[in-house]
Amino acid sequence: MEARTEIPPGTLYMLILRTLLRIGPMHGYGIAQHIQQISQEVLQVEEGSLYPALQRMLIKGWVVGEWKQSENNRRARFYSLTPKGRKQLAAELAEFEKVTAAITRVIQPA
Amino acid sequence: MDSFLRRLLYYFRKRQFEAELDEEMQHHAELSGRPKFGNVTLLKEDSRAMWTWTLWEQLGQDLRYALRTMAKNKSFTALAALSLALGIGANTAIYSFMDSILLRSLPVKDPEALVMMTWQSNARDEESPHSISVMHGVHTRSGSSYNDPRKGYVSGIFPYAAFELFQKDDSVFASVFAHYQPTPFNLNVKGQADVANGEFVSGDFFRGLGVPPAAGRLIIADDDRAGAESVAILSYGLSQSRFGGAAQAIGQSILINNIPFTVVGVAPPEFFGVNPGIAPDFYLPMHANLLLGATTRGWYLNQNVYWTEVMVRLRPGVSIAQAQAAWAGRFHQWVDSTATNDQERADLPELAIKEGGGGLDALRRRYSKPLYVLLTLVGLILAIACANIANLLLARSASRQREMALRLSVGASRARIVRQLLTESVLLASLGGVLGLSFAIWGIRFLTLLLANGASDFRVRADLNWHVLGVTAALSLLTGVLFGLAPAMQSTRVDVIPALKEIRGSQPRTPHTFWRINLGQTLVAGQIAISLLMLVAAGLFVRTLSNLQSINLGFNRENILLFQLNARSAGHQDPEIASFYGDLRTRFSAIPGVRSVSLSDSSLIEAGTGEPIGVLGAEPNPANRILTVGPSFFTTMQIPILAGRDFDERDRPGSPSVAVINELFAKANFGNQNPLGQRLVLNAGPVRREMEIVGVTKDARYGSLTRDIPPVVYLPYDQGFPQPAQMVYALRTAGDPLVLVNTVREIVHQADTRVPVFNVRTQTAEIDRSINQAIVFARLCTAFAILGLAIACVGLYGTMSYSVARRTNEIGIRMALGAERGGVIWMVLRQVFLVSIVGLGIGLPVALGTSKFVESFLFGMKPNDPVAITVAVAVLIAAAVIAGYAPARRASKIDPMVALRHE
Repeated sequence: MEARTEIPPGTLYMLILRTLLRIGPMHGYGIAQHIQQISQEVLQVEEGSLYPALQRMLIKGWVVGEWKQSENNRRARFYSLTPKGRKQLAAELAEFEKVTAAITRVIQPA
Repeated sequence: MDSFLRRLLYYFRKRQFEAELDEEMQHHAELSGRPKFGNVTLLKEDSRAMWTWTLWEQLGQDLRYALRTMAKNKSFTALAALSLALGIGANTAIYSFMDSILLRSLPVKDPEALVMMTWQSNARDEESPHSISVMHGVHTRSGSSYNDPRKGYVSGIFPYAAFELFQKDDSVFASVFAHYQPTPFNLNVKGQADVANGEFVSGDFFRGLGVPPAAGRLIIADDDRAGAESVAILSYGLSQSRFGGAAQAIGQSILINNIPFTVVGVAPPEFFGVNPGIAPDFYLPMHANLLLGATTRGWYLNQNVYWTEVMVRLRPGVSIAQAQAAWAGRFHQWVDSTATNDQERADLPELAIKEGGGGLDALRRRYSKPLYVLLTLVGLILAIACANIANLLLARSASRQREMALRLSVGASRARIVRQLLTESVLLASLGGVLGLSFAIWGIRFLTLLLANGASDFRVRADLNWHVLGVTAALSLLTGVLFGLAPAMQSTRVDVIPALKEIRGSQPRTPHTFWRINLGQTLVAGQIAISLLMLVAAGLFVRTLSNLQSINLGFNRENILLFQLNARSAGHQDPEIASFYGDLRTRFSAIPGVRSVSLSDSSLIEAGTGEPIGVLGAEPNPANRILTVGPSFFTTMQIPILAGRDFDERDRPGSPSVAVINELFAKANFGNQNPLGQRLVLNAGPVRREMEIVGVTKDARYGSLTRDIPPVVYLPYDQGFPQPAQMVYALRTAGDPLVLVNTVREIVHQADTRVPVFNVRTQTAEIDRSINQAIVFARLCTAFAILGLAIACVGLYGTMSYSVARRTNEIGIRMALGAERGGVIWMVLRQVFLVSIVGLGIGLPVALGTSKFVESFLFGMKPNDPVAITVAVAVLIAAAVIAGYAPARRASKIDPMVALRHE
C-alpha cells in the first residue's frame, strides 16, 4: 500500500465545501475523487472520515442532500452548498490563508 | 437552533436515515471497486452519534444491557442488592433522624431571619448558674442553659428588663419576643383533667414568627399585660382531641391550674412552638403567669432574676454579626448596671446572638453527637458492603474478560466500556437504594421506639421527606460509582489478543492477574480494618452498659410502681394538700398486693433539689441536697437504715420537726460522732426550718446514675418549707407493679377528678430510661458490628474461594509432588492470616486513635479499654479463620488427577 498523505486536520470541511462550490451538486464518491484528482493524488479522502464529515455538515446546515440518479444508474445522495455553507467556506478560506501565510513567514529562510 | 430541529427529525425517522447512509456507502463501494471499507459498524456508530443526543441513547442501551446482565446473574444481584439495601437503609434511617433533629427549620415565615438571644459567662463553678453572681434567681425548664467546655456557662434566659431593653432597638431588630415553658399544667376541659404543656409568650410572639391562626386569632400585644382578659391559644392537636375541631374550640372556657381561660384562637397544625423537644398544648400571654404563680410578680421587677427566653426577627439584610456588633456593648453596659458589687461584676454575662431558625437547640445538643456516631457506624457498614460488591465484581470481571476484549477489538473505546460497566453498578446500587428505603422505613420505626424507650413525651418524628430521599438517591449513586469504578477500570485493562485466544471456559490468565488479586485482598483487609473498628466500638458500649447496670443503687429497683400527681395545680392548697396526699397514701396501702407505699417530691433517679441546709450553727455546704418524703420511705425503697428510724405516722404537721440523713452527710458533718439527736437548719431567706436528726441511712442513688451521690437530708413533706406541690408515689408490690395501674387511677379519680395521674412507670423502666443512650448504643453497635463482621467474612470467604479456584492447577501439581493436605490447608490459611493481620494493622491504630471521640459515651472505663480491644481482635481472627477454613479445606480436597486434567 502506497503511503498516503493525511489531510491536515480541520481542513476537510473546507475541501468539501470548495469542491461543491466548483463542481456543483455531487455525491460522496464524486467529492472524494475530485479532491484526489485536483490535488494530483496527494490528498486521499478516507471514507471513514468523509461520510461522518458530510453527516456533520448536514446537521450544521452547510450542505443539503438530494437523492438523484448517478452515473452507474443507482440512487445516490447529491450534496449541494447552502448559503450558510458558502459563508462558512469564505470564513474557513480566510482563516486558512491567514494561517498558511503565517507558517510560510515562519519557515522562510531569513 | 435549526440543527436542533434536524436532530429531532432524525430521532423520528432514524431507520430511514440509517438506511440512506448504508445505501450511500454501498454506492461508494461500488464506484470505487473496493467491496468493503474500513470499520463500517464504527463508521455508522460515529455518524449516528452525530445525529443523536448520544448520551441518552447510549444510556438506554447500557440500561437494557445492564438489566439483562443482572437478570442472568440472579444470585449475585440478590446478594449485592441486599447488602447494599441494608447499608443504604441504615444510613437513610439515621439520616432521617439527623434531618428531623439537626437540620429542619421551624415551620414559620422566613426562619433564616430568626435569631436566639443567648449569653455566656466564664463561670467558675461548673455545676450551677448561681455561681454567676449577678443572677440571684434562675427559673428555667427548656434546657437552654448548659456548660460548654470551651465557652463556659451558656444560657438563653434573661431578666424581663433585658427583654424590654431589646425591644427598644430601632436599627437591627424587626421584632423582639419572649417566651418560656414552665413545668406542665393541670388542664381541665369540660371536667376532664389532664397534664399539659403550656408556653407563656409575649405579645409579639406569633406576629414575630409570622404564624397565622388556624382559627380565631392569636395572642396580640394587648393580651400581654397585667389585668388583661385571660385568653389562651390551643395547639391544633389539642383543639382536635378535646373539641373536635379548631373552629369549635373558639370561645370555649378551659381551666388551667384551676384558673378559667377563654380560648380565642388555634395555632396552625404544623406549628409546634419554638422548641422542637417539647411541643406546647396551649399558649398563654406572658403576663398570665401572674395568675398562675405566686412568685412571678417579682420576676418582672427584679433585674437579677433570669427566667425568660428571647427570640428576635432581624430586619431584612441584617446579619447576625451586625446584630451582635450593634448589641454586645449595649447589653454589657446594661448587665453591668445590674451588678451591685465587684464580686458580681467578675463573671458578667456577655451577649451572644445565635441562629434561631431551627428553634431552641437543647434537642440538637442532646442528639447531635450520638447521631454523628451512629451515622459514622452505618457509613462504615455501607463501606464494607461496597468493598464486598467491588470484590464480587472484580471476580466477575475476570470471567467477562473475553467479552471486554471482543468489544475493545471491534472498536469500542475504553471510556465507553467503563461507562457501561458503571451503569451496571449504579443500577445495582439503585436497586439497593430502592430496597434500602423499605429497610429505612422499618429502621425509622425501630429507632423511634428505641430512642423513646417508652417515654411518652418523645417528640422527634423522623420521616422520609424529599430531602431524605434525595440524600438516599445521591448515596446510592455514589456507592454505585464507588464500588463499580475500580473493577470497571480493571476489566477494561485487557490485552486483547491473548484474551481472545484463550480457550472458552478456562481460567483467564493475564499479566494483570497478580495485581487484581492484590486489589481484592486489599479490599478484604480494609473490610477487616473497618470490622475491627466496629467491634471495638461495640465492645466499649456493651461494657459501658454493663458498668451502668451494675451500679449499686442503694435501693431495690424491682417491683416498684412510680406515678406522679400534682394536686396543687389542680387547685389544692396548704395545709389541706398535705392531708390529701396523706389520705391517698393510706388508700393505696389498702390495695391488695401492695406491700408498702410512700411518696417523695421526685423519684430518687430524678431528684435534685438544693436548699441552704446544714448543721445548726455551721455554714451550709452548697453541695447538700434535700428530698421531701412521706412515711415509710426507706422501708418502701428498701434503703437500709444504719441508725435511728424511718419516718412514720408520728411525723405529722405540728409534731416535732425531724430529718433523716444519708451516710455521706453524717460522715461529712459528724465524723465518728453519733448524728442522732443533732439539729439541722434549712434557712432560705424568710423561711427557716429546724429539725432533729432521727435516722441515718446507707447512701442511696440521688439523681442520675453516673453522678456521685451527694450528702442528702430527707425531710417529711408535710412539716413546712418547701411546701408540697407535685408528688411521686412509690408502691412496693408483691407481683408485677403494672397490673395495679387501673386501680391506682380509680382511687385518685374517686378522691378528686381534677387530679390526673401521669408519668406512670416502674422503677426499673425509669432507670432504663435514664441510661437509654447507653442501651441504644450497646444494642445498635452490637448489631452493626455483627452485620459488618458477617459481610466482611463473606468477602473473605469469596476472595479465598476465588483464589483457591484459580490455583486449582497449582495445588494439584503440589499435591501430585507430595504436598500434605495439612500443608495445603495451612498455605491457604496463611493467606487468610496475612490479610487479617494487614487489616488489623490498619484497623488497630485507627481504633486507638478514634475511640477517644466516644469518650463522653463511656462509663467506668477508658476509651482504649484493653478488654474491649482484645475481645474485638480475638473475635475478628476467629471469624476470619472460620471464613477461610472452608476454602482451605476445599483446596486440600483437590484431586491431583482431576486438577491436572482441568487444564
